[in-house]
Amino acid sequence: MKAAADFQTVVEMTRSIPCAPAILPKLLKLTEGTSSDLGELEMLISLDTGLATNVLRTANSAYFANAQRCESIADAILRLGSKTLYRIAASTLTGRWLVNPVRGYGWEPGDLCKHSLCVAICAETFATSMHLADASTAYTAGLIHDLGKFALAYANFSVLDDIASRVPDEFSTWREAEKAILGYDSMEVTKALLENWGFPSTFVSVGYFYPSPSQAPDEDRMLVTVIHAAKHLATQLGYGVGVDGFYSNPDEQALREAGFREDEMDAAIPDILTAIQRFIRPDGSVHFT
Amino acid sequence: MVKTPQFVDDHMRTIIVGVADFKFTTDPSTCLATYALGSCLGITFHDETHRIGGLLHAMLPTAQLYKEKKIRETMFLDTGIPKALNAMVRAGAKKHDIRCKVFGGAQLIASDNFFRIGSKNIDMFYKISQELELDVVAWEVSGRINRTIKLNNQTGDVIVKIPTKPEFLR
Repeated sequence: MKAAADFQTVVEMTRSIPCAPAILPKLLKLTEGTSSDLGELEMLISLDTGLATNVLRTANSAYFANAQRCESIADAILRLGSKTLYRIAASTLTGRWLVNPVRGYGWEPGDLCKHSLCVAICAETFATSMHLADASTAYTAGLIHDLGKFALAYANFSVLDDIASRVPDEFSTWREAEKAILGYDSMEVTKALLENWGFPSTFVSVGYFYPSPSQAPDEDRMLVTVIHAAKHLATQLGYGVGVDGFYSNPDEQALREAGFREDEMDAAIPDILTAIQRFIRPDGSVHFT
Repeated sequence: MVKTPQFVDDHMRTIIVGVADFKFTTDPSTCLATYALGSCLGITFHDETHRIGGLLHAMLPTAQLYKEKKIRETMFLDTGIPKALNAMVRAGAKKHDIRCKVFGGAQLIASDNFFRIGSKNIDMFYKISQELELDVVAWEVSGRINRTIKLNNQTGDVIVKIPTKPEFLR
């Protein structure tokens, strides 16, 4: 257990976690639009045994299968289509990364994965229904929005327990407490990780600005606001929410400017829940196929 | 009064109740559990005489907003609670013997216009509990905490689990 927690150490430690979702930006580029390079996609997926297995299993599942079994990655790509393929890849890669046991936030193993998945589904729903952002981009942004918290937890600093014990009385938000006690916050860690992994600047903006989208650059503000809204809605739903979850402040100005209304968000909840329950079972286990 | 947890032996069966779901049991050696309530409400129903227990995990206060849609009654308090009570009575419970406990309704930092599901749920539960004359013997609601609960049908005790805190009984 480490008592101190300097920023660079956290980032360096996290870089070494196996199966980090570093191939996602390339995958997103390859699967967006209609000009997917089948050969390159096949190669990228084949590099990761777990991902390749998930893709094949889904292509042969009752939902997608036809009389002909799908026995190659190339066939599976054609059968599933780029959107489904990307969803499987994003969920598999980040999900695997987010299920390691961690400390500091009161999470059970897999909690951050569940919560991130809920944020992704909420974000996709808002992006689609309100025409605020590309749905796949919003989904990915939801999955990766809080990687910095995972990195801090993975680094296993005892000072995280100090944050948890001091937040209710001394600080109004978790972010304020991180800043005061660590000297930096988890959003800065998310930003550094995403930059190191070569994610597009839009995702970096999401990771850094999602708690306060009004401060995001103009060109990214809409997506950042979608994630902000999705984050808060998902928190209320409870899946995988740790001790930090309810200590954040809604940015009402950004929400209003983006056109969010409380009654419309509440009205979307039944459909969001149905989507979430396709992936999260009543016992809390997550399944992506 | 908060009791020290001395809950159930490991051999008791546990039935998991999902979000927007209600389940009941007539088996005294069975528990009912639901995870991560967030702003939702988890309401336990227990008839101690007949050892019939029920657990509702409702997400939203009212189905009124969704008149045009096919709804899951257990998603909403105003449709879920009557459904749960009916199921308990059909299973042999006596309405006047049913004790309720309510959990959840966590809230974000005060916002005048957004993300108020927790407080709306608590208000709605209070209203319904008055209308239906529910015997509510424990309130463990509000705050900024995510609760997991488990009802022991033998005793009616509910164990409450909160991130980073010791479990306790209500």
